[in-house]
Amino acid sequence: MELTKGSASSVAVSTVAEDGYRRIPLGLERGSGSRKMLKRMLRVMFPHKNFGDAPYERAAEAVLALACEKPGRQVAFAAAIQELMNMSFETLDDDAALEHLKGIAQTDFFKQVQGRALLAFYDDPEVWSLLGYEGESFDKGGYIDRGFNDLDWLPDPRIEEYGGEQ
Amino acid sequence: MKSIPLDEAAVVIIGSGAGGGTLAYELTKAGIECVVLEAGPYLKNEDYENDEWKAFHQMAWLDPRTTSGSWRIARDFPALPAWIVKAVGGTTTHWSGATPRFKDYEFKARSTYGEVEGASLLDWPITLEEMEPYYDRAEIAMGSTHRHGRPALPANNNYKVFANGAERVGYKLYATGPYATNAEPYDGRPASIQDGFNFQGDKSGAKWSIMVREIPRALETGLLDLRPDSHVVRITHDPSGRADGVIYADKDGQLHRQEAKIVCVAGNSIETARLLLLSDSAMFPKGLANSSDQVGRNYMRHLTGSVYARFDKPVRMYRGETMAGIIADEAQHDPSRGFVGGYYMETISLGPAFLAAFVEPGAWGPDFTRIMEAYANTAGMWIVGEDMPQATNRVTLSQTMRDQWDLPVANVHFDDHANDVAMRNYAYGKAEKLYEAVGATGCHRTPPYPSTHNLGTCRMSERPEDGVVDRWGRAHDVPNLFVSDGSVMTTGAAANPTLTIVALAIRQAEYIAAELKRGNL
Repeated sequence: MELTKGSASSVAVSTVAEDGYRRIPLGLERGSGSRKMLKRMLRVMFPHKNFGDAPYERAAEAVLALACEKPGRQVAFAAAIQELMNMSFETLDDDAALEHLKGIAQTDFFKQVQGRALLAFYDDPEVWSLLGYEGESFDKGGYIDRGFNDLDWLPDPRIEEYGGEQ
Repeated sequence: MKSIPLDEAAVVIIGSGAGGGTLAYELTKAGIECVVLEAGPYLKNEDYENDEWKAFHQMAWLDPRTTSGSWRIARDFPALPAWIVKAVGGTTTHWSGATPRFKDYEFKARSTYGEVEGASLLDWPITLEEMEPYYDRAEIAMGSTHRHGRPALPANNNYKVFANGAERVGYKLYATGPYATNAEPYDGRPASIQDGFNFQGDKSGAKWSIMVREIPRALETGLLDLRPDSHVVRITHDPSGRADGVIYADKDGQLHRQEAKIVCVAGNSIETARLLLLSDSAMFPKGLANSSDQVGRNYMRHLTGSVYARFDKPVRMYRGETMAGIIADEAQHDPSRGFVGGYYMETISLGPAFLAAFVEPGAWGPDFTRIMEAYANTAGMWIVGEDMPQATNRVTLSQTMRDQWDLPVANVHFDDHANDVAMRNYAYGKAEKLYEAVGATGCHRTPPYPSTHNLGTCRMSERPEDGVVDRWGRAHDVPNLFVSDGSVMTTGAAANPTLTIVALAIRQAEYIAAELKRGNL
């Protein structure tokens, strides 16, 4: 989970060494298509079918913020995202996209995206709500009067310790 | 608050958690002045956050550490071997509250289990019988449910699934406790409001912690000098080999030296061992109190694991106490199961943020998403059992990484013993059977979290060559140096360790007070 400290420079080097690629952008600025690409990547990683785009977009922003912390990481991310653009990742169907991500799952780039996106995505109050989690509770008086024991599809069990012979 | 001069040789306690905090209260109550040096800040209940990551960043011990060994933590969380608290009150701030006692045979692990290849098992130099009066006092102090007239906590949703499953697979020894969380007001603390944020520090104070009981009461005696943000970096000794002072860094990195007549170390097993190793000298070349070379060895973390089960109906495990259910049927020594020692099953709940991070570290894709998608219909349990002490499972000083004070950080090396693996797999299977008996549509076997139970790095032993401290937690090598936390545990037993740490600290306080009175310290 701890994001690896090293830059993803290995990705950048292998990318520039290949022929036939479009330019590697210096930045991940708006208009570069980076957000859109990451959003698609995150949807394939965490495919909640009934979720809207907003939480995926916020998680993509968190990934970009991580990427932009250091120049080396920024250029490596830019190169890796450009590579996804070059192979038209966005046009792949879900199965093909999943297969492609499996293929790059061991790269530093992928691990950093997965680690950062997972933390951001599931720490998002909209996602909590979509999953049925209610968040902060102390200021609402806890759940003592709000359903801490409302499960009704099983009988009420014993709460005392066993009193019989073992 | 009491202010003890730096040049006054004081009773100095390092750490303010279950061990150090209890010791400070018991000693001040007996009229003995103490300095408590706590590395972390003075957080109060109203400061705690009902938010998993915010609370984690507020209170977790995040100073750098390194890991090695074949345990999965070294791969998934290489900088976070342990999940403990750096604040006044220590890890009692985020503890779950479970208070089972150790069993008689668990104090005699070597005699009971026999020779286990690769394990450095040893009998404790004390027995359950000797501990019983202190267990009583600890349970009364902490307000353990089901004990001394304290009523049981009610069944929450997660417990209903857990207990019904237990009944259907034939377990008998299930209940909502003992837990040190009030079902009704007790000892000045309110009843639980079932808010579900134990691991984030309990804002209401219904859960016992050093911050709600021992620290305020020790301060009330007027004999406690509590110094937060005071990180001890070395214990010094005089030419005769007695501890005579403690050097600590304040939050700005300024060094101070407190003269000491007694030093009690309670920094949790990783930092306690690290501090002794950092306090080496010509007289103690392997580290203070380490002539046996046992400091840092036999690090234990309990066999742990979790099982999260999915149902086709709502559970809402997050509503109510994070842990409030325990099954003790497997907490026995029955080698026919294929391993020595036993384990408990205990309810556990995580919010989506923590569940995503810990349910299967590194996971992504459709299978992982299915686990998260089922969040509201998920029940969870934690498995906690005895792991084998091994001489090579060890806290050492890092050769490569230094902390904010430019001191070598702790490296935590751990390899699972074959007995640990056998017990964990057996327990996973039993947990799945339990949930399937109440209709689970799927179960996930979650690997151990970063260690919350850190034990054994300064173990208690009859013979000085086998351990670091004697039956009172007094260092074999240094007569006025004590260890007062879970690192003294000779073996780990199956039970959550906090009750035993508190009971040992009450007992140690009584001993120190008596020895002071007799002029032996």
